[in-house]
Amino acid sequence: MFDLTRRHLLAATAAAAGASLLPRGAFAADELVAATFGGTWANVQKQVLAPYFTKKTGASVVQSPMLATEQIAKLTAAKGGQPPFDVAMLDEGPNLAAIDAGLVEKYDPAKSPNFASLSPHFQTEYGPAITMQAIGIAYNPKTVKTPPTSWADLWKPEYKGRVGITSLASTLGLAFLLDINRLEGGTEASMEPAFKKLKTLLPNLAAVSANFGAHGALFQQGEVDIGVQNFNFAEELKAKGVPIEFVRVSTGTPAWKTTMHIVKGALKPELAYAYIDSQLSADVQSAMQKSPWNVIPTNSKVAYEGLVASKIAKSPADLDKMVFFDWKKVNQGRAEWTQQFNREIRV
Amino acid sequence: MAGAAIRQGREWRLALPLTAFFLAFFVAPLCLLISISFQAESSMNGVLGLNQYAAFIGDRLNLEVLSDTLLLGVKATVLCLVFGYPLAWLITRVSARLQSLLIFLVILPIVTSVVVRTFAWIVILGRRGIVNDVIMALGLSSTPLRLLFSETGVIIVLTQVQMPLMVLPLVTVLQRIDPNLASASQALGAGAWRTFFKITLPLSMPGIIAGTILTYTACVTAFVTQSLIGGSRLLYMPMLIFQQAMDLQNWPFAAAVSVLFMISVLVIVGLLVALSRSRAAKLYG
Repeated sequence: MFDLTRRHLLAATAAAAGASLLPRGAFAADELVAATFGGTWANVQKQVLAPYFTKKTGASVVQSPMLATEQIAKLTAAKGGQPPFDVAMLDEGPNLAAIDAGLVEKYDPAKSPNFASLSPHFQTEYGPAITMQAIGIAYNPKTVKTPPTSWADLWKPEYKGRVGITSLASTLGLAFLLDINRLEGGTEASMEPAFKKLKTLLPNLAAVSANFGAHGALFQQGEVDIGVQNFNFAEELKAKGVPIEFVRVSTGTPAWKTTMHIVKGALKPELAYAYIDSQLSADVQSAMQKSPWNVIPTNSKVAYEGLVASKIAKSPADLDKMVFFDWKKVNQGRAEWTQQFNREIRV
Repeated sequence: MAGAAIRQGREWRLALPLTAFFLAFFVAPLCLLISISFQAESSMNGVLGLNQYAAFIGDRLNLEVLSDTLLLGVKATVLCLVFGYPLAWLITRVSARLQSLLIFLVILPIVTSVVVRTFAWIVILGRRGIVNDVIMALGLSSTPLRLLFSETGVIIVLTQVQMPLMVLPLVTVLQRIDPNLASASQALGAGAWRTFFKITLPLSMPGIIAGTILTYTACVTAFVTQSLIGGSRLLYMPMLIFQQAMDLQNWPFAAAVSVLFMISVLVIVGLLVALSRSRAAKLYG
């Protein structure tokens, strides 16, 4: 029985090695691979979207949390071959970069019944917006007694060494810098005003997180008392019992769309459409709008409720009043700004 | 008998699977990396040139980041040696049971995930962390010290995390030193310190150099520790490469930075190897 010869051993090793090298999808017939973001998004899509999708289609989905830039890198590397996932999930800047690089397909509304229910500005050609992300100031109510109202509060001398921001690797950090620039009179074509202003914030900075994931931990551990933060993420932390409050800034809330896309050459295009369409459905979006997730809906059949209504927007018209940036120009300037950011914030 | 004779001299074929694996998954990607670094444009349109290398050298920030990274490795490695050598020496002197316990403690950092270890250190070094709590309770400082997001913090964590790479080669070498040599030295009138500097230290040099090479290369490339403990305000080479490759999708520049970083580290390793050769020649030649 256990008469293992060299030949058997070799064959077994080769089989094991071969199996691990097989292209994905060789085993599971009905398995979609979809990218998601880390944190709140991975949780909410796992708990709300995946069961809904499986009930509707009978297929299963593997949700793989990845940064937007990581998704683009992986798709670029796989160009010409099999893409490692079928559905991409991107913020506005990386979204435009992916379209330019030909990594995502045009979205066919005919294959997605719920697409028609979106407000027109969420019906983008290469894939629908599934939410808006809004940013503002988060603070620890135990240590910050007067609630902040504007970005200028981060510059207050009393917050010396207590403020947290993120690097330009996350859209959060980028949007913050762009908004400071706008308020200082700059445009996406000239970021000098923002960098000049950023220099004066240095004494107040406790930390500049390398990425969005590390940023959340700063609030949790009391490393920072006040800083920029994403609405959804701050509210999720609060629901977990972290002493954190989110406020919008008085100068207008910077926001951007998050979109979902069919990846070019997707192995399971039909399932990919069904998955994105599920995310657009009124059922999924109203479930995601509930606490602790508070995902801002884009389906016009879903009325704003709860924290979304009380803190972000009462009606779709309120969303139009938010502050948007020209991400095409942002993508052009990003490399240069990143290097300058490195230089300015260096200890 | 005849079969055995035929098989003789063919043992090298045992190394073939590993060689094939290495060629496919290390040498080939490395060649790819080097070739990408000669792409002149970030769009990789096929135009070749040394533009990426020129861009790296042309910006003082990049050179400062390179020297900061190489120096960070030196600082952490020196600390590993200073703390690791007595520990390794102790391990060779205690009873067998205590020895396995100590070795287990030494390799403990390797068996936990680097991310978990690093997050544990964030909790320890934080403003409200254990270290600061103790310092403030003892009245040594009225405000919390900035340990996280400082180079001091990065060095502390690297020293702990990479310690096994220094201690294990040292233990191996120290165990092989004939204890009679030290006894002879002392019998001939040398004191403990003289014996250490004239006998033990020179004989343990191969272990010191092996440990230094392993620790140094691990410290300078420790992306997770550097970025999570250091934050964005301390920039080291691995983060610079990540920024260019992932955030900015500028693969040729990232590749050129990687190649330059690799060459810098190889030069340092080469110097250490040369040093060990000359030491060995002196001792045994």
